[in-house]
Amino acid sequence: MKHFVLFVTVVFIGLSLALLNRTNQGGDLAAVPILRVFGYSTFTGRWGPGPLLKASFEKNCKCKVEFIEGSDSGILLQRLRIEGESLGADLVIGLDQFDLSKAMSEQKWRNLSLGKLDTYEAVRPAFSGAYFVPYDWGQLSFIARKEGSSHFPSKLDELLLPEYRKKLALQDPRTSSTGKQFLFWVLDAKGEVQGFKYIEALMEQAHSFSPSWSTAYGLFTSKQAAMTFSYVTTPLYQEIEEKKKEYLSLKFEEAMPVQIEFMGIPDFCRNCELASQFVNFLLSSEGQKIIMEKNYMFPVVKGILEKSPFAAILPAKNLQKFKVPPTSEVERVLKRWTDIRRNTLN
Amino acid sequence: MLISFFESVKYVGHLLPISFLRIFLGYYYLEHALQKFRGDFLTRPRIADQIAEWLPTSHAPQWFKIFASSQMIPNWQTVAFIILGVEFAVAFSYILGYVVRPVALLGVLLCLMMLFISGPNHEDLFKTFLAIHFIMAWVGAGRCLGLDYYFFKRRRGIWW
Repeated sequence: MKHFVLFVTVVFIGLSLALLNRTNQGGDLAAVPILRVFGYSTFTGRWGPGPLLKASFEKNCKCKVEFIEGSDSGILLQRLRIEGESLGADLVIGLDQFDLSKAMSEQKWRNLSLGKLDTYEAVRPAFSGAYFVPYDWGQLSFIARKEGSSHFPSKLDELLLPEYRKKLALQDPRTSSTGKQFLFWVLDAKGEVQGFKYIEALMEQAHSFSPSWSTAYGLFTSKQAAMTFSYVTTPLYQEIEEKKKEYLSLKFEEAMPVQIEFMGIPDFCRNCELASQFVNFLLSSEGQKIIMEKNYMFPVVKGILEKSPFAAILPAKNLQKFKVPPTSEVERVLKRWTDIRRNTLN
Repeated sequence: MLISFFESVKYVGHLLPISFLRIFLGYYYLEHALQKFRGDFLTRPRIADQIAEWLPTSHAPQWFKIFASSQMIPNWQTVAFIILGVEFAVAFSYILGYVVRPVALLGVLLCLMMLFISGPNHEDLFKTFLAIHFIMAWVGAGRCLGLDYYFFKRRRGIWW
């Protein structure tokens, strides 16, 4: 027993000394203020806009930007609620309109002061809040393969045709923001009673309800499903990054859903001034361009996407109006969806 | 001590296959611990993220869920440090064959915890490791090709 205690003690002391040595080597960084940005992994990761935004902002701020990764946008609020101040976040990035009501009720946020911005009509109402500011937006629709079909659905009811049985890769609205967007799109377009009847019928058409957008999208690209619900910029991403021109986003008669992504400064921020500067940087031409090109979402500020391939797919009309659904409504709708899903499985 | 190390093959040779498994597992743990040490495991709240993500769907008992969300997530730095320390301890112990029995019990506890806070993708891996640590502790795997044989010869007892 004595040997065991001694052995474990030596290992832990060794580890502490090694860590101490490593911290001292990085000691010169201690004098530089650190801005900690909490966001979802596809934003902060190496393929997302995070690294470029960090490099560009660090050039002028005499500071260091550190990203705290949340695996998915759905998990950001959960982490914020559980960890609170100990998370050490100065800025939270990646909340959408379904998160705002919950975020307001669970945390205190700082007022944001922004300069005058020339924004797109679709996102203008989203700038009315004092605590959260949008930094990008996207329209969602069904994405299909061009080959193998001459006719594509142009209204929601056509998705119920027998030819699409078990062919739609959808997302679970309880865990995925795009899944939530689809559910609320249906309810907005059809009204609640008809909408839930439609959802019940759609259960037969779904290939699966994946926990995240990326899983559903993977099923679609691996040809296990004929269509998936995704961003209208998806075909453009495939064309630029993967050199594939085989996908197209479908146009529907119903007003199309719009996802707006927000950022906010929690009240417990440590480098609040730096966070505010970073918010303004993200809304600058440079920041917006990086976000557009790396996140494949539309910028909120005008004058960025003109002359880029994004201009051709910028939706101008037939969009849903911006609204922030209250948490209770979101939870009630999700519960109803869960009941329908459970009944289908039983 | 060196003589005992090799002499053990002669007297507890039946444990030789399990000793290779022990050394392989030690190397595996060392590789992973070094990866975590060189990476950002201690500086970024990856473990807190993992707990927050998987705890709600975990099969862990309720008391563990309460403990994890109230203590482990806010003190993720300490948790990350302890996990890394235990991984290094398992690695060195298994490679050297020193205090393998009690360290294997630490390994069992570590695997149980990881089983509770990891997603279904890792469930099978941690269950397998759990069984291996348990067997290491049961047979006293440090007695063959390990320093434990030297102490076992002189002191006997259940710890070697």
